[in-house]
Amino acid sequence: MPNPAGALLRAFDNPQWQWLLRYLVVGFAICIAASVGLGGYSGMGVPPMYGDFEAQRHWLEITQHLPPKQWYFYDLQWWGLDYPPLTAYHSWVLGKVGSWINPEWFALDSSRGYESAALKAFMRQTVLASEALTYLPAVFFYSLQARELFDLPVLDWALQLGTVLLQPTLLLVDNGHFQYNSVMLGLFVFSLYFLGSKHLVPASICFVSAMFFKQMALYYSPVIFFAILGCTTSIRPLNIKFGSLVAVGTTVIVTCLLLLCPFLQKDLLAQLVIRVFPFSRGLWEDKVASLWCTANTFIKFKVLFSDAQLRQFALIATLVGMSPSCIQAYRRPTKTVLPWCFASCSWAFFLFSFHVHEKNVLLPLMPTTLLFFTSDQTTRAMVAWINNVAYFSMWPLLKRDGLAWQYCIVVILWNYLFGLWKAQPTRIFHQLVVAGSYAAIGLVCITEKFGLMPMLDKYPDLWTVANITISFACFVYFWLWQTVAMLLTK
Amino acid sequence: MQQVVIGVLLKLLLFPAYHSTDFDVHRNWLAITSKLPISEWYFEDTSEWTLDYPPFFAYFEWILSKFVPKVVENDGCLDIVAHGNYGWPTVVFQRTTVLVSELVLAASLIYFTRSKAPLSYRQKMTAAAIIWFSPGWLILDHIHFQYNAMMFGLLVISITAVANGQMLVCAFTFASLLCFKHIYLYLAPAYFAFLLRAYIFENNKLSWLNGVKLAAVVVAPALASFGPFVLQLPQVLSRLFPFSRGLTHAYWAPNFWALYTFAERVLGVVRHNSSAAATRGIVGQIEFVNLADITPRITAVLTLFYQVLSVIPLFLKPTYDQFLGSLTLCGFASFLFGWHVHEKAIMIVIVPFAFMAVSSRSYALAFSPLLVAGHLSLMPLIFTPNEAVIKYVYTAVYLTVVLSVLPEIAPVKDQANRRFFAERYVFMYNALFVLLIPALAILPVIAKKFEFANLMLLSVYCALGVMGSWLALNTVYFSTDLLSK
Repeated sequence: MPNPAGALLRAFDNPQWQWLLRYLVVGFAICIAASVGLGGYSGMGVPPMYGDFEAQRHWLEITQHLPPKQWYFYDLQWWGLDYPPLTAYHSWVLGKVGSWINPEWFALDSSRGYESAALKAFMRQTVLASEALTYLPAVFFYSLQARELFDLPVLDWALQLGTVLLQPTLLLVDNGHFQYNSVMLGLFVFSLYFLGSKHLVPASICFVSAMFFKQMALYYSPVIFFAILGCTTSIRPLNIKFGSLVAVGTTVIVTCLLLLCPFLQKDLLAQLVIRVFPFSRGLWEDKVASLWCTANTFIKFKVLFSDAQLRQFALIATLVGMSPSCIQAYRRPTKTVLPWCFASCSWAFFLFSFHVHEKNVLLPLMPTTLLFFTSDQTTRAMVAWINNVAYFSMWPLLKRDGLAWQYCIVVILWNYLFGLWKAQPTRIFHQLVVAGSYAAIGLVCITEKFGLMPMLDKYPDLWTVANITISFACFVYFWLWQTVAMLLTK
Repeated sequence: MQQVVIGVLLKLLLFPAYHSTDFDVHRNWLAITSKLPISEWYFEDTSEWTLDYPPFFAYFEWILSKFVPKVVENDGCLDIVAHGNYGWPTVVFQRTTVLVSELVLAASLIYFTRSKAPLSYRQKMTAAAIIWFSPGWLILDHIHFQYNAMMFGLLVISITAVANGQMLVCAFTFASLLCFKHIYLYLAPAYFAFLLRAYIFENNKLSWLNGVKLAAVVVAPALASFGPFVLQLPQVLSRLFPFSRGLTHAYWAPNFWALYTFAERVLGVVRHNSSAAATRGIVGQIEFVNLADITPRITAVLTLFYQVLSVIPLFLKPTYDQFLGSLTLCGFASFLFGWHVHEKAIMIVIVPFAFMAVSSRSYALAFSPLLVAGHLSLMPLIFTPNEAVIKYVYTAVYLTVVLSVLPEIAPVKDQANRRFFAERYVFMYNALFVLLIPALAILPVIAKKFEFANLMLLSVYCALGVMGSWLALNTVYFSTDLLSK
């Protein structure tokens, strides 16, 4: 075993101790996540608006004290709720627990901008608990399925499980920056797990829940739609399983209705949609490695075209980008192919769609990271590489949050522990691209850190622009590679 | 080696964790040793955290202070003030010194795995892993802040030297260790007896030459450390041995006195005559109304009695195994019956016992409740909520792994039927920790009023484990055949 984690876990290769492996891996992942949580969070000590931490805390506060009818209306200037209802319910539960411990934390209005060590600890622990209830079991069950599928030795399986659970980007965004992405991703992985075993009804329940937790799960929806269609129909010979189709349709509608229950009024629904889908918020926000923001350095889209035109361009580009994965998902909705389809589709969304945040890279990364469950060397190397690049694309955000320390250690830990820095794709061209991108990233980091080029100081955005340009190039390369790989996968 | 690096990376993440006043204590010592001439080190008292470790430790701080970078110095690291005023650079610097000093433990364990100790390589690795991955270091050194791992590294070297038959190395490292931190004096009887019997009276004949060599090796570090302070010896000693504290600590270390105080408490409730101090659990003297009052003299007599008892077999059979047994029992005696024992001292028992536990199933059985109790008793040391998840999850995984692996590694050496009941009891006791960890994590949130009651119950639970482990070790140790070769 060429990596340190393997050397350590090999001590437990003895069949009578193999059951310990899962506890070791999961326990280690939790410890690391909790240790990352010792660092700063988004908007810590930055009045007047603070950051994502305050946003989440605020939602715990308003869901506590207001009836659901007002959730999407209440003082929208102060971090108005802009996630779908399941997030709100989740906040409500956590808020109940939190208010029971200390009502001051979530007192209506008066608690705005509240910060204390105890509150931070509580909020961090809610993230860990939410993760432990959704993401951890989802990845765990998925890994068991993958172990069977690829016939992995138990030690390899444990290592790959560790690699996925310690995925640095999610670790830092959820436990550092502060969000609950792991809940949505966990629900998605559950639905992937059920799809793999052809249990369409639980799969659609999980997927609808994921979408109602964070609307970004829409990135996955085309593939899931075509996969379900592919499971229930076939063209040649023409054959439609009406029973399953109706069952899935009913499940989706009932789940939606249940989740929307308190909001079933025209104006409430309209407001919900306005809040959740920010069509008026422009082609991108901040700096993000999507096509539009990156190309904007060279072509000023916002000057040349109207918003409506841009929206159309984005729509067309996304449709084109996602079509191969949809076709493949329809033709082969199998355990082996589906993660590839999800990855390809969500990368297309991330790269080409309208209003993308830098944190949205977590969505394509999730199915991509699940590709670690394989015995193929090139896949492993490419997935590790793109994870590192995506992590790098989060650097400006995480640095702002005061997480530079954790940022550096976690990426070293992950790459060192699982021997990922040594992983090489087999083709020479891939190797060149990987090495080249690492060199470029290293160059950017070093010049930024040590201010080697003082004449560039008058362009403060330069590092961020360099960051997103490199990231975008890598993402596109990876997306193309893995779309081809997807089409070739049997 | 790789285990070391993984450990280091996890511990780097813990840099921003809570640190106790011990952090400022050590910072103050850095300041004292760097700014003042050596003659004033033990007199300086601007801060209440006066230098109260032996001189080698002061030298160690002095050497560290040479490495303080400018940034850290400007941060207030080296200011002699009542309360340190420092920031992130100082934290990074001091935490790094702990990490680096911990390499002594790593090196000593590697030395042990390559020693001639009568164990298989697998057993040696297990013992080394039990010690290296102990949550004790994480909690005591990397969160709470101390340099225990380095000290225990020296202890491990001296134990390994015994296994290799290098008596002078053993004597030298142990003598140096005493000059770093005098708490290891508790282990001195076993060393004294062993070296006397196995080296000076080698082959049952008095060897003057060996006596002189040994004396030289022991006196050298003592001179090197205390030499410069020879004129101030009374002052140094008064710093090292303060005798003005109560029988138990605010939070009772899980020893015999915890059970004793608990009995007093229970009797007080039953008879409605408890004294005010005893019910409140404030630091300081606890008045015993129902039970006999305990004086330092009683604790000293009890400690010495049990230490001498454990040393006697060593005279009959001065082997490595007997030495380890008596060493562990010396640690036990001082921990269980000592005056004002701190729960941190449990590591003094766990480390030597770990080497024994892998050698036979009976020892492993006696060891396991100690491992559980010892580590759980460290939990309240870190009371801030931020670190709670880390300490509980890490400890739970560690205990689960060690308790499952240890019985398989340790070979059965004697008849199994005697152990049947003991095994069942130990299993039940150990299984309780699975319930206790969530209870510990949740109870303080639910019931703030009962905080002290929680701690008391934990302390009693742990004390029972430590006592049980001690009794079991006594049974096994004193029932080994001493006369056969």
